[in-house]
Amino acid sequence: MLTYDILIVGSGGAGLYAALESRMEEDLQVGVLTKVYPTRSHTGAAQGGVNAALANLDPTDTWQDHWFDTVKGSDYLADQDAAEIMTREAPMVVREMEHWGCPFSRTDEGKIAQRPFGGASKPRACFSADKVGHVMLHTLYEQGIRHGVNFLNEWQVLSLMHDGQRCQGVTAINTQTGRVHTIQAKAVILATGGHGRIYWTRTSNALGNTGDGTAIAYRAGLPIKDMEFIQFHPTGLRRTGILVSEGARGEGGFLLNGQGERFMSRYAPEKMELGPRDLVSRSCETEVREGRAGPEGEVFLDLTHLGRERILERLPQIRELCIEFEGVDPIEEPIPIKPTAHYSMGGIHTDLNGQTPIEGIYAAGEAGCVSVHGANRLGGNSLLDILIFGRRAGKHALEYARNNSFTPVDTGQEEADAKMIASIMEGESGASIADIRRSMGNLMAEKVGVYRNGKDLESAVSELADLQEQFKMVRIQDKTKAFNTELVAALELKNMLDLAEVVAVGALERNESRGAHTREDHPERDDENWLAHTMATLGDDGRPKLDFSPVTITEFEPKARTY
Amino acid sequence: MIEKITPVRKSILANIRIQRFTPSEHKSAYFDNFKVSVETGMTVLEALRLIKNTQDSSLTFRAFCRSKICGSCAVRVNGKPVLACSTQLMPILEDFKKDSVSIQPLKNMPVLRDLVVDIEPVIEKLSKMHPYLMENRERIPETLEEESIMSKQEHSRFDYITDCILCGSCYSACSAASADPNYAGPLTLGKAYRFSADVRDSFQGERMQAAVDQGLWSCAQCRKCINVCPKDTRPAVSIQRMRKMSIDDGIHDTAGSRRAKAYTGDVAKYGQVNKPMLPVIVNGPKGWAAIEAAENYLKKHGIEPTLQVCTLGGQSSTQKIYDKVKELEAKGENKT
Repeated sequence: MLTYDILIVGSGGAGLYAALESRMEEDLQVGVLTKVYPTRSHTGAAQGGVNAALANLDPTDTWQDHWFDTVKGSDYLADQDAAEIMTREAPMVVREMEHWGCPFSRTDEGKIAQRPFGGASKPRACFSADKVGHVMLHTLYEQGIRHGVNFLNEWQVLSLMHDGQRCQGVTAINTQTGRVHTIQAKAVILATGGHGRIYWTRTSNALGNTGDGTAIAYRAGLPIKDMEFIQFHPTGLRRTGILVSEGARGEGGFLLNGQGERFMSRYAPEKMELGPRDLVSRSCETEVREGRAGPEGEVFLDLTHLGRERILERLPQIRELCIEFEGVDPIEEPIPIKPTAHYSMGGIHTDLNGQTPIEGIYAAGEAGCVSVHGANRLGGNSLLDILIFGRRAGKHALEYARNNSFTPVDTGQEEADAKMIASIMEGESGASIADIRRSMGNLMAEKVGVYRNGKDLESAVSELADLQEQFKMVRIQDKTKAFNTELVAALELKNMLDLAEVVAVGALERNESRGAHTREDHPERDDENWLAHTMATLGDDGRPKLDFSPVTITEFEPKARTY
Repeated sequence: MIEKITPVRKSILANIRIQRFTPSEHKSAYFDNFKVSVETGMTVLEALRLIKNTQDSSLTFRAFCRSKICGSCAVRVNGKPVLACSTQLMPILEDFKKDSVSIQPLKNMPVLRDLVVDIEPVIEKLSKMHPYLMENRERIPETLEEESIMSKQEHSRFDYITDCILCGSCYSACSAASADPNYAGPLTLGKAYRFSADVRDSFQGERMQAAVDQGLWSCAQCRKCINVCPKDTRPAVSIQRMRKMSIDDGIHDTAGSRRAKAYTGDVAKYGQVNKPMLPVIVNGPKGWAAIEAAENYLKKHGIEPTLQVCTLGGQSSTQKIYDKVKELEAKGENKT
């Protein structure tokens, strides 16, 4: 049996920071299990910035300003003690990254450069050109090599094991060989990222953002929190969902419907295309719903009127992205776009140290939910979240593993998982993975997407149950053991179907509109009844059971959220 | 003026030839042909995914971010290493005026299955290169209350390399890596230079030795890595700069550094390289054996070898070119 003092599942920013923090003194064995190679993780895709009130650009900025911006942005669903920790510790973790070699862009004085960002009252997003997530991820990986962190690359986690009180470890399959293993660990940190892929093609997320850690925690009986909150970005490319950044609208781009009308005049006559993200997403969606879309249900971001020169000068990267990923040159024609699922605010419920109700089991980053983002995350706070809570989880797990022994683990789970895999591999006659996945994505985008209402959500819940039934018979053609990517896709789909159900059930239950959750039949925020976190656990009947817990309010009384 | 938008979207029925290989089932690699209706906007990765979803779900390839930042999906398309996710198919079909395109795994790494190669050997080489910053305490404060100060100009010395996504395209194209399996490869040496050029680092000597040991001087400067890099990180340029840095650091006892010094010294002195003496200068006295062998070979074929250095006329113009190169090099050091 493989044994680690601390096993981290997931190799993005949160996982690698946790690994580094717990391996710094090199007294414990620390392993990072990842289904990709660490530098492939989705943290690398974050372009814009990481928030920290360094006050390098605006000397009046303080962490308290950052704290308030975060709480307001969350539509008051963030726990204010958690948001306080995150914003107060932010300058320290950003400096620590810098001391480890992270190449942030520089001010004229040679300090870390900062830029303004949506929803922030001061310019506090620290950046490295348009690649800050990428350089942070590489820096953490490099320091991990230096300090002797072990990497189990291309392994897929299967189950999380505990005895009801304490962590035992996980089971996982080595994709390169196809063998199932038990990995015993005093502490497990789940840092597997978000689950935007439940919207399948309608997401900006990587192909593997399937919520694996969140799903195994849910199946192991742990509570998962605020799952109905999914942030949508208004301008994803039609084919792939890849983001066209807000810069394009900032430079004067128009949003047009299929008829060529500048439709934002109907929804935000003053701000037009520069309205807040959620409003613009809803406006695009309304045009499509009311039959004014292009030939394939898209609307258009038109830059042609800016002219060749201005596009080449100000938006060269956006132009390159449209040509490479969509085959469209924005100098010549409008860019086809659709709102796209971007970020999962919800996740595995943890305390301020990233610990779940089971001792030794932790979660951090987009997989976890402390909660600091509440109902809507601010730009630049996701990279901060992974640093702060990756670090805290790593620190706490280190102390825990130093002071505790291994909990005995029986190999029953490994056998059960090997059997589960064998039974998936036997599937010959049912629907294909691609078919079920497409149905799931379409139904989530239509009924649990930007707009939601009770009737659609009810039908979504029952359709998801049908898909779960279909999955039991899923057809697998590839019978090879080694490097079976069809099997991996099946395991991911199983995870997504479980989480999609929790998202839909949570959205159905929450009879209000708050942050990213918009109910057409309950358009107002309702603090009296719904200033609460949704806690979902797996019920005895195999369906999610919902409880609600209060939001921690320490400093800022909820007010209307206006910008 | 309001006008209905009608996007131009073309479609071609294309033949996608994909190299297949499952070690447990096949003796050697072979090609499968798939008919795919390629539309405007379709990337190589989308075509692969379409084939996997609708024609053959056992087709095996890596992909993750789909947006040119993770480096998982590097493959060869018509022989050239590219990222599948950021390569449009329609222009390739139109350029080659054929309705067929071939997709193969990267070279210089063992194939695990179909388009998936084993990158572990490259990662191991990278790990041996000390690819991390070791804090230079003159630049990096002990406390997290302060930032280290690094000027824009200092940052720009290595910023271009930090775009590297470790996709392996350069390693696939590298002529030195295919000639010598022990050669570290362009991406790893690029990463070594990235840290050695960072003023916040204090580990220069040991990393430099690791680079020398792993083939800093084996690079043939064919610059194929520069042509194929999807992020424009110019590994061959980093290797050149790393070599210069190693000579400046006083590492003169390697074959490569001796060759480099002989080249520059000869050109300065004679206006050209004194090639017959190179084996001796590079490899020491045992180089005479190579010279003797070459002489014998020439004589056997009726050619009388010359041991004289022929100094060309117009040596002063060569000297001018040489001076100009030095001047440009000095400038290059200071630009981004």
